[in-house]
Amino acid sequence: MSAPLLSVRDLSVTFSVRPEGIRPWARGRPLRAVRDVCFDLASGETLGIVGESGSGKSTLARTLVGTLRASGGRVLWRGEDLLSMAPRDRHRRRRDIQMVFQDPLAALDPRMTAGEIVAEPLVTHEPRLARDRVKARVAAMMERVGLLPEQLNRYPHEFSGGQCQRIGIARALIVEPRLVICDEPVSALDVSVQAQIINLLRELKRDLDLALIFIAHDLSVVKHVSDRIMVFYLGRVMESAAARDLVRSPRHPYTRALISAAPIPDPEVERRRQAIELKGDLPSPLAPPSGCVFRTRCPVARPSCANERPAMREFGNGHLAACPFGEHSP
Amino acid sequence: MTLLRVRDLGVSFDTADGRVHAVNGVDLAVDAGRSLAVVGESGSGKSQIMLAVMGLLAPNATATGSVEFEGTELVGLGEAEFNRMRASRIAMVFQDPMTALNPYMRISDQMTEVLTLHRGMNRREALAESVRLLDAMEVPEARRRIGMYPHEFSGGMRQRVLIAMALLCRPRLLIADEPTTALDVTVQSRILRLLAEVRAELDTAVILVTHDAGVVAGSCDEMVVLYGGRIMESGPVDRVFAAPRHPYTQGLLDAVPRLDRDDDSLSAIPGDPLSMNRLPAGCPFAPRCPRVHERCRRDRPPLEVHAPRHRAACHDPLDDAP
Repeated sequence: MSAPLLSVRDLSVTFSVRPEGIRPWARGRPLRAVRDVCFDLASGETLGIVGESGSGKSTLARTLVGTLRASGGRVLWRGEDLLSMAPRDRHRRRRDIQMVFQDPLAALDPRMTAGEIVAEPLVTHEPRLARDRVKARVAAMMERVGLLPEQLNRYPHEFSGGQCQRIGIARALIVEPRLVICDEPVSALDVSVQAQIINLLRELKRDLDLALIFIAHDLSVVKHVSDRIMVFYLGRVMESAAARDLVRSPRHPYTRALISAAPIPDPEVERRRQAIELKGDLPSPLAPPSGCVFRTRCPVARPSCANERPAMREFGNGHLAACPFGEHSP
Repeated sequence: MTLLRVRDLGVSFDTADGRVHAVNGVDLAVDAGRSLAVVGESGSGKSQIMLAVMGLLAPNATATGSVEFEGTELVGLGEAEFNRMRASRIAMVFQDPMTALNPYMRISDQMTEVLTLHRGMNRREALAESVRLLDAMEVPEARRRIGMYPHEFSGGMRQRVLIAMALLCRPRLLIADEPTTALDVTVQSRILRLLAEVRAELDTAVILVTHDAGVVAGSCDEMVVLYGGRIMESGPVDRVFAAPRHPYTQGLLDAVPRLDRDDDSLSAIPGDPLSMNRLPAGCPFAPRCPRVHERCRRDRPPLEVHAPRHRAACHDPLDDAP
């Protein structure tokens, strides 16, 4: 296996949240949105990140592209630390890491044509490129993502949701990045269109040898695109494994609950399915539980889970889970 | 016993660009205590059908055809009669529980108002009954929480509050429009289980409007598949999933990624869902259909019976599976 493209070590992102009330001098409380996240990503690999609302998956994405500041840890891009890099170097590196967003229409400037939107990053990163070269590359990229040349001069509102997402993908790919981070790229789309975009991303990844980080709340979707999957809960990684291993033999009770809750479009399978219901609600990220953050909702929690945060255990083939009772079924 | 019978329902809107037909010739029926899934993508008209049943269509909309509920015709019913019907006989749960609740009122006031108005209870009885329902919907510490405001609840709990509120008058029919779409999966399974319990214990019929085939498979008896404001296929859930006759239904089922399968290929339906103001002359699905014939673009296929209660609107339906 080649050296990793991206290595993330102990990455943490903390926000300062003002307590509710009217005292303007009140000190902010730390909200630890992402804590101690570690992973490696190889060139051409797809890492899926799954988690429910408030798990910190979008915060992680935004930190990796540099729109949010990390509060600790390292993000190594081909061995260089992006977090401690001089701004000018970082700008150059940023070209290698692009992003695709959830709401395809909101992510596009309504006053720009599709062609202008796709050309913008190229003009930013290669200001000396001749205009006809820009035009040619934009046209080729539009075609690559399944849009027609005559659609270049149309505005975002004239496109469907699926087409807007294709424009968003073209904009991300035009500067020939090595890594594309997709944050819920299909959750706003209709089912029939969702499959088109998933297939397009898989095709582009294969043809361009792209690395992808694919973030979604839907484990079934993540499983379909990913080589490896990381499961997030309340800012921490609960489990991480090859996609098939994770779905077939989950080791963390939270992953088990997620899998058991995913509806299967088959009435016979559904009748047999026993969803594991989680107790209670997601705790406030301002006051996460002591020890294991999942313990308050865990079906197999023991008193000892409150004392110490469980270490990552290795189950072979790079399968990691943060649960000391990983082998016990709930 | 048939509780709700919709016949030849049409919903059209007067817009600046002329009249737009969002729903055309829709027939459906729900028996007491049964569950019907209304499946469709954006623009299929699924929500407009439900708003027509509830008498909540937008001011520029017109409903035609017939909606018969417990023998009463609802199309053209006056506002006062509709108000009596809603909440007491038919109730609705919406996708976004936050916008469906009044942010300025405590949950207790929102719930007891329904009971004092529709069931003539005094405030003390109404409060006790409200707490009972919140308990039944597994809202922890209901007695304390009922004094809180909607923003103090999590999304999943808010949806449970909304269902509790919908059940205050023991409606005969509960319409749930994408009740779990905004929620996390682990929260979704609980909401769906609670809806199933309501149906079993109160004999309340449930119409579940959804885009999610997985949810349909797990919670409904019958289903109707809509596209472009028309019914493409309808029938018992088991039958339609086992042997879909309409290419759209088949395409929809094939497009859903499944966690229980190792095969990672997904077949997408090419093209985009229809826009209401550009409905084609023939079959609405013809522009995206893999089996399209010349005839499909010209003549709209009627909804035909293929097996007991299993109907599909297609000139070239798929074979019955072995």
